[in-house]
Amino acid sequence: MNVIEIDHLTKYYGKTRGIIDVSFSVEGGEIFGFIGPNGAGKSTTIRTLLGLIYPTSGSAKIFGKDCIAHGPEIRRQIGYLPSEVFYYDGMKVGDLLRYSASFYRKDCSKRIQELAEVLDLDLTRKIDDLSYGNKKKVGIVQGLLHEPKLIILDEPTGGLDPLMQQKFFDLLLEENKKGATVLLSSHILSEVQRLCDRVAIIKDGRIVKVEKISTLKESNYKRFKCEFTAMPDANMFSIDGVENLTIDGNVASFLFRGDVNKVVRMLATLDITDIWAADPDLEEIFMHYYEKEA
Amino acid sequence: MNLFLRELRAHRRSLIIWCLGMLAMVGGGMSKYSGMAGAGQSLNSLFASLPKSLQVIFGVGDFDLGTAMGFYAVLYLYIAVIGAVHAAMLGAEIIAKEERDKTVEFLLAKPVSRHSIISAKLIAGLVNLIVLNLFTFTASIVIMSRYDQVQAVAGDIGRLTAGLFLLQLIFFTVGTGMAATNKNAKAAAPRATAILLAAFLVAVATGLSNDPAVLKYLTPFEYYSAQSILVDGVAVTYHILTVIIIAVMIALTYAYYQKRDMNV
Repeated sequence: MNVIEIDHLTKYYGKTRGIIDVSFSVEGGEIFGFIGPNGAGKSTTIRTLLGLIYPTSGSAKIFGKDCIAHGPEIRRQIGYLPSEVFYYDGMKVGDLLRYSASFYRKDCSKRIQELAEVLDLDLTRKIDDLSYGNKKKVGIVQGLLHEPKLIILDEPTGGLDPLMQQKFFDLLLEENKKGATVLLSSHILSEVQRLCDRVAIIKDGRIVKVEKISTLKESNYKRFKCEFTAMPDANMFSIDGVENLTIDGNVASFLFRGDVNKVVRMLATLDITDIWAADPDLEEIFMHYYEKEA
Repeated sequence: MNLFLRELRAHRRSLIIWCLGMLAMVGGGMSKYSGMAGAGQSLNSLFASLPKSLQVIFGVGDFDLGTAMGFYAVLYLYIAVIGAVHAAMLGAEIIAKEERDKTVEFLLAKPVSRHSIISAKLIAGLVNLIVLNLFTFTASIVIMSRYDQVQAVAGDIGRLTAGLFLLQLIFFTVGTGMAATNKNAKAAAPRATAILLAAFLVAVATGLSNDPAVLKYLTPFEYYSAQSILVDGVAVTYHILTVIIIAVMIALTYAYYQKRDMNV
């Protein structure tokens, strides 16, 4: 069963493009990634789902119900972590979480304690005094305390240190195991790759592709950058799968797609002083999709 | 209920400050009276000698400044202005602050409808107005008791406070209306106070000249001026206009807040 069904959703802010003709579905129990560069329309889509803004045309259903007409009812089962966390002035962490819990018809105090413990969050501190990362934690607890069936996260990891990120991902996976569906919006490919089953890629307000992560990985590029003791011979790099080669002095950088062993064997014959191998950033992935379409 | 309590808490401090402001206004104003009390008749003649425009701005009207109640009635103009400013800013703020402080994304992700949000905020605002009016009434009685018999002035002070309350209700709903219709949360309070200022200037203008007579219907300050409440009696038309303005503003508040995109 689909937990989220988005059907030809379009949103214009006046004449400014928000999203255009966005359609995709999120199945119950999956962790779904929603990825795209800043300003692509991720937040617009999510805010429409939550009824913060109204679609220009098209519609969206959550739990099979229209997200505008049945908003308050649907939101009982949604936990939301906004990308920027702002909270009421002068409130303590505990006050805010109790206020947040008071909107749901159940006792969440035990869950608040548990989550605060896992994330190492002090409930007695004033929110104004917290660092960005700690504010983010308040947002996470606030979004999870009522054990929602659908968790929507808009760029959740900003400000969290790697250890906290890991704890947070573990929390999400745990909730997911218990049956929660997760919609995770991000511009960081690696975190989406780590968590998600499927991903929708959005660019300039339009969905470019909806794909399984496993498929995406197969077609994925790696970015290599190597520094040599001497200027390398460009011919060495004429292996199948190498693209965008640039040689600048002793440094060569290129994109590679295919069997990584081939590159490693070739590099092993050269004298290397330093090497970087990384996932290409999103722009490069998008370029890859555009090239394919062209 | 939680939202209502949250709003009461959020506005508690500012309510206390406004109450203290009212106390200072009434107490400070009446202390001027005690300073001039001996001057009685001469104070009347002093104001009578002022140009009409200044008389209007001071709100002197037909009152006898030689009596405590007459002096209070003149002071009431300033009490009304303070009350109106408080109400307009409260109305604008209570709606607009969720967007201004970016908490709207938190609030609207909760299982609440926009209608119930507005209802909770309107009721919380109403409670604030009631508290301020009760406080102003009590403070006025206590202070006036130093100059006159309480029994003699309580009725008039009560009627003036009732007028203050209605005036506040008007400007409170103007404030919520401005906040709900305005996409820019920061512009809500300035807009509401601009309307207030315009209304006040119209009130001054109508005091200067009764021509055109229709002008006085434009300004709530005229509906519930001390002259209108204590001397002429508040015209039924004014009451009807009050009800219409409040009803329209509340309807606007609900309708626009429901329909528009939240600014996040």
